[in-house]
Amino acid sequence: MKNTIKVQRAIKNITQADLAEAIGVSRQTINTIESAKYVPSTVLALKIAQYFHTSVEEIFQLELDD
Amino acid sequence: MKNKFLFPHHYRRIGWMIFFPSLVLGLACMHADFRFNFLDIDLGIQKNLFDSGTLNFTDEIASIGLIISLLFIAFSKEKIEDEFISRLRLESLQFAVYLNYMILTLQILLVHSTAFLDIMVYNMFSVLLLFIIRFRAMIHIQNQA
Repeated sequence: MKNTIKVQRAIKNITQADLAEAIGVSRQTINTIESAKYVPSTVLALKIAQYFHTSVEEIFQLELDD
Repeated sequence: MKNKFLFPHHYRRIGWMIFFPSLVLGLACMHADFRFNFLDIDLGIQKNLFDSGTLNFTDEIASIGLIISLLFIAFSKEKIEDEFISRLRLESLQFAVYLNYMILTLQILLVHSTAFLDIMVYNMFSVLLLFIIRFRAMIHIQNQA
């Protein structure tokens, strides 16, 4: 699964730590999600999408090997 | 996400404070036959000439201290306890159980008679110790990234 969190963060001009604090997780968690090492739960994915005022599909997309 | 069955964050510090005295006491009990005399409990029955019927509680205190402290250290919440930490926790637990039984299997094959009793004593605490080492190491690696 790939994601566009880094892009979304750049648009909003916020750091990983800012995003982490806003949705109540650690910066490390955002870091592992962003680098596609960790697939977040549905709840967390929805929270991230809500924070960027967009849909989950805008942020997370399936890849061929999923 | 709610995490059940975890102690509050500050229990980790309490755990370390109990751990070191218990460890020293436990090692002294096992390898130097150290006993606190005031922990002698008279059971009131003299079994025979060689068994006075008293029970010394030093090693019991050390063992229970180790169990409680290791549980506190292993299962107190992180400052920010989120779902990624939960996954690290579960992975580390599985890793610790596998590694512990691998080590135990080797010891079953290689160590025999009374020395094996010592191994079993250490084995009472090794799962938790291995878990703590692996879990803290994983968190340390994540913090570097």
